[in-house]
Amino acid sequence: MDLNYTPEDLAFRKQVRAWLEQNLPKDVRTLEERRAWHRKLYDAGYLGMGWPREYGGGGARPMEQAIVADEMARANAPAPTNGLGLGIVGPTIVVHGTEAQKTRYLRKILSAEELWCQLYSEPNAGSDLAALKTSAVDAGDHFVVNGQKIWTSGGAIADWGLLLARTDTKVPKHKGISCFLMNMRQPGVDVRPLKQITGSSEFCEVFMTNARVEKSDQIGKLGEGWAIAQTTLGYERGGRALARITTYSSQFNRLVEAARRLRRHGQPLLENPVVRQKLGRIWSEIEVERYQALRTLTQLERGEHPGAGGSITKLSYSEFEKRFMELALEILGPYGQLTKGAPQDFALDIDTAIGERGSWAYAYLWSRAGTIYAGSSEIQKNVIGERILGLPKETRADRVGGKA
Amino acid sequence: MNFSFSDDQVLLRNSVRSALDEQCKPEHVRAMFDDPRGYGEALWGEMAKLGWLGLPFTEEQGGAGLGLVELAIVLEEMGRAAYPGPFFATVALGGLGIQLAGNAAQKDRWLSAISAGKARATAALLEEHLDWDPASTTTTATRDTAGWTLSGVKRFVPWAHVADVVLVPALAPEGLSLFLVDPKSSGVALSPMVGIDLANRWSEMRLDKVAVGADAVLGAPGAAGPVLDSLLRRGAVMASAEMLGAARRCLDMSVSYVKVREQFGQPVGSFQAIRHRCSEMLLEAENAHAAVYYAAWALAAGADDAAIAASICKAYVSDAARKVCGDSIQVHGGIGFTWEYDLHLYMKRAKALEPLFGDAEFHRELIVRHLTSAR
Repeated sequence: MDLNYTPEDLAFRKQVRAWLEQNLPKDVRTLEERRAWHRKLYDAGYLGMGWPREYGGGGARPMEQAIVADEMARANAPAPTNGLGLGIVGPTIVVHGTEAQKTRYLRKILSAEELWCQLYSEPNAGSDLAALKTSAVDAGDHFVVNGQKIWTSGGAIADWGLLLARTDTKVPKHKGISCFLMNMRQPGVDVRPLKQITGSSEFCEVFMTNARVEKSDQIGKLGEGWAIAQTTLGYERGGRALARITTYSSQFNRLVEAARRLRRHGQPLLENPVVRQKLGRIWSEIEVERYQALRTLTQLERGEHPGAGGSITKLSYSEFEKRFMELALEILGPYGQLTKGAPQDFALDIDTAIGERGSWAYAYLWSRAGTIYAGSSEIQKNVIGERILGLPKETRADRVGGKA
Repeated sequence: MNFSFSDDQVLLRNSVRSALDEQCKPEHVRAMFDDPRGYGEALWGEMAKLGWLGLPFTEEQGGAGLGLVELAIVLEEMGRAAYPGPFFATVALGGLGIQLAGNAAQKDRWLSAISAGKARATAALLEEHLDWDPASTTTTATRDTAGWTLSGVKRFVPWAHVADVVLVPALAPEGLSLFLVDPKSSGVALSPMVGIDLANRWSEMRLDKVAVGADAVLGAPGAAGPVLDSLLRRGAVMASAEMLGAARRCLDMSVSYVKVREQFGQPVGSFQAIRHRCSEMLLEAENAHAAVYYAAWALAAGADDAAIAASICKAYVSDAARKVCGDSIQVHGGIGFTWEYDLHLYMKRAKALEPLFGDAEFHRELIVRHLTSAR
């Protein structure tokens, strides 16, 4: 056990920090500005770091990826684009794709020349994803796709989508799903922004009416879609581990400064013992998340896969974020609810995926999403219970009689 | 960066676990409830042989020369076994205190005796008002020709009734000082304070004009403040390690039980209400593990954030262990509330340690002081 960073990692961090100081863009609002920033990061070797070199990646260690993301968080740098392309679609193609697919798609994902989305969830297939109904029917030289997807991040800007669709209705639900690459820029695909409680639209609904998918864009064999989607593939796994914590700390520091300014009963809020207790609790949770990130990185550096342990991580930080943001809005009072007009001392200027800078109110509302997307907290607890603790599965209506 | 146990550390954990599985079964823990001394001499001798009693002391002192991470590993296992005996008091309080502040003669005398299993030590860190801040000490030390005279009342002194030496903080003219006191000295009166954890022993220790020699001062007179701060931090983290072990045991017992206990024709562990609770318990245990071993490493390595890490550890683990142990009783249902079922041994161990060396609230206040005074 040695929790010091190695000299190599410290030197690498210094190098990244210096690069960011030189190259950080002033403002990134439009998609083209974001794409330009993305290319700059890629050219510097700070994107696609974990991808294999033969496909244009950097072959970097998880710790190096984590350091880059962490330094970007520290510099409050805008995010690159194409997160799903880099994190999920690309790695899926690397592992399950044909040589032709790799040649055609991978480099354009890295360069953000083509942006990707993930077409998984449906209105009636959320936590129960395998119940999806979107169909892909063999029409000789191509597939015809009909159905509706929802909660598609980046759908409005995506050129391509990684699609799960049903190709066989006669077999148990997990066995009849296949995986495809679908061109989003075609008449049969209608993308509509989904307005969320934040007032913004990071997600979309996607309607497919006789949309076309080429035979050459099928990933893996027919009926293997569920298995492909279940494989946790990401090459960017070290990714956000440290950056998340750095963002928490900088938000926490702003909150402490606000608590110095705000008063109650004539006293600074920061001198109120109840407020101090709550701040102390949140800081200890932030630090425990950091310690856990170091444990995860240790595993990744050794080439071990956290597996279902990832569910513990996700459950822990997403539930923590809700508690954190609840305290932030409690301390900030009505300042915390401002979406416009917040004085500098009580504002939170954060990067968002939608081009406009975010507020405490936006961060608070977003914290509600974290315990729902990518497997709700309830699903994570099922996974932990079944796969780590080995507790018996519940009796499920869709599995009665040994089906599925 | 390597946040995992070395092969040697894994080996140590496994050997402590198998020794305690063998020699510290629940029947042994229960047998000690009514034992006058409260611990087994045979196991104590075995612990000396295995090198546990000298674990953090140097080889010249008969120790193993290991660090706080290793001590935390041993204490986690002791929590897991609800070990009844003065290990924590002797090694993590008395022994570490002497190691931190003692002169060569004091270390030679006590640390080798402790390592060999021939002496037991403890520290008297609390008084009536339960303030963990060493500055609150009211016990006094006055100088006389032969040495010092100590007077005052200490409470919750762990395992004082079997100790050969007690570290006693007292206010001398020079300031806060630490004294080595033989609890059998004239003027010392011990009376038992019996808590819910019957495998743990506390005493009230009254000092009525107790005479100690000039060589009984640990370190220099007036210099005990920083020593006590260090000792309290170590105590907080080592108590957290033991709480973590107790919580792990409660979790393990819960998971085993809900797999086999059937209601409504199914194992109760198949119900989400139970399964989700068990998953939350695991989450808390894993986070507590990270908090304990990060803090133990930081103290051992003298890291910049060692002091705040110790507070974060005690604040987090105190809450986490209470939740895990409490939930374990809940998922067991009625059986978990019976005396004959062993669950309460571990739950009570965690509960007994929860307020010691500062509870969660105490440490959260320290955390905020660290954060806001650094600027």
